[in-house]
Amino acid sequence: MSAMQSSPTPLIEARGLAKTFGQTQALDDVSCSIASGERLVVIGPSGSGKSTLIRCLNGLVKPDAGEIRFDGDRVELSSEAHWRRLRQRVGMVFQDYTLFPHLTALENITLAPVRAGLMAKPEAELEARRLLERVQLAEKASSYPTFLSGGQQQRVAIARALAMRPQVLLFDEPTSALDPEMIKEVLDLMVSLARDGMTMVVVTHEMGFARAVADRVLFMEAGRIVEAGPPDQIFGDQSDVRTREFVRRIA
Amino acid sequence: MALLLDNLGFFLSGLESTIRLALLTLVCAIVVSVLIGLMSVSQWRGLRVAALCYVEFWRDIPLLVNLLFIYFGAPLVGVPLKPFTAALLSLTLWGGANGAEIVRGGINAIGRHQFVSATALGLKRWEIYRYVVLPQALMPILPPMTGLCTTLVQATSLASLVGVNEFFRITQIVVERTTMQSGYSPAFLVYAFALVVYFAICSALTRLSRYFEQRLQKTGTSAIAAPRGFKESA
Repeated sequence: MSAMQSSPTPLIEARGLAKTFGQTQALDDVSCSIASGERLVVIGPSGSGKSTLIRCLNGLVKPDAGEIRFDGDRVELSSEAHWRRLRQRVGMVFQDYTLFPHLTALENITLAPVRAGLMAKPEAELEARRLLERVQLAEKASSYPTFLSGGQQQRVAIARALAMRPQVLLFDEPTSALDPEMIKEVLDLMVSLARDGMTMVVVTHEMGFARAVADRVLFMEAGRIVEAGPPDQIFGDQSDVRTREFVRRIA
Repeated sequence: MALLLDNLGFFLSGLESTIRLALLTLVCAIVVSVLIGLMSVSQWRGLRVAALCYVEFWRDIPLLVNLLFIYFGAPLVGVPLKPFTAALLSLTLWGGANGAEIVRGGINAIGRHQFVSATALGLKRWEIYRYVVLPQALMPILPPMTGLCTTLVQATSLASLVGVNEFFRITQIVVERTTMQSGYSPAFLVYAFALVVYFAICSALTRLSRYFEQRLQKTGTSAIAAPRGFKESA
C-alpha cells in the first residue's frame, strides 16, 4: 500500500461499496484507492465482482451504498450529471464491445472530445491522428471498425479513451475476447501506456501483465477484496491461501 | 384507352390529391413514429407508459374504423374536420403507432453495449441517441418502415369513403358515370389502370429506400456484423 501513502490525496477513493444484483451480492463492503500514476490490477475468479468494482468507479454500475471520491471530490452517486463529468476524466476500455461501427476509426476517436467541448473538430482530428500513430494504426484513420481485426479495434478503442485526456484509464478484461495472436499487441500497448505514467486500473486474467506492470494487485472473491499488495506478495508463497489457489489454477 | 384519355384531367386531379395526402401522411407519420418510438425507450416511466398506450390503442383498431370514428366523431367534440384532414389525421395516428414500434425495435436492435460504451465516454443521453444509437438503428428501421410507407400510400384510397376526391374515388366515379352513360362497365380497364398507378408509386418508394439502404451499407454498418463483430473468426 506504499503507493497510496506516498500521495496525499488518492486520485480515486472508494469506501464501503456495496452492490446487489437480485440475490447476488456482487460487491460487499469494498474499499480501495488508486493514487495518481499507480497501476492497479484486479484479479479474481469470474463472478467475484471485479467488473462490478471498476464499473462502479465510473458509474456504469451505480453502487447501492458506499462513497466514491475522485480527486478529493465526493461523487453524488444519484446525480447523472456528476457521473458524466467524472466519466469525461475517466477513460474505459471494454472487453468485447468497443467501437461505433457506423463511424470510421478517426470519427470514433473525435466524437467524445468534440461533443464534450474539449477541442474543436480540426484540433480533435489532429489529436486523433496523433493517437492513431501512438497505437500504430495511422493508416487506418478512415477505416470502419468492421474492416479492422479484433486487436486493431481494441487499439482504436484505447486511442478513443485517450482522446478525452483522462486522468485514469479503466480496463475491463481488455484481452479476454481477443484471439490469442492479438492479445500481445494490445498488452504491449498497455505496457507502453504504463511506462508513460498513465494511471491504470486493469481487470485481467493476464498474470504476466500483472506481474510486469502492476504496482499493486487486488485479489477479489465473492464480492470482497481478499488480499491486496505488490505483485511479489500476491504471486509469492506468502499470499492468502485463496489467492494462492486462484493464481495456481490460472497459471 | 380513349376513355382514360377523355378523363385524363379528372384522373390527374385525383392523383394530385392522392399524392398530396400520401406525402403529408408519410411526413407526419414518420415524425410521430420517431417521437413515440423515442418515448417508448425513455428513461422516464410516464413517457414509456404513454407511448405504450398510444401504440396499443391505435394499432388495435382497423384503419377503416379509425377513419370513420375520427370523421364522424370529430364534430361531436366540436371540431368538424374536412374529409382530407380527417383522413390525414387517421392515417397519421395509425401509421405513427405502427411506425413507433418499428423505431423502438430498431433502437432495441442496437446492442446495449453501444449505449454503455458511449456512456463511458461521458456523452449525454441525447448525444448517445443522436450520434451513436439512431444512425445505427436506421439500418434495421429502414426496410420495415418502407413497408409501412407503402401500406400508408395504399391506405390513402380509404379516404374515398369519407368523400376525399383522391385517385381511387375518381376511378370509381369514372366507372359509375361511364356505366350509366354508355351502358357498359369499364370497371376492369379503369381498375387495372388504378392498379398500375398505385404500383408505380409504391415501387418508386421501395426503390428509393433500397438506394438509401445501399448507401448505408457502403459505410460497413452491417447491423448484424456490428455489435459482435469483434472476434475475428468463429
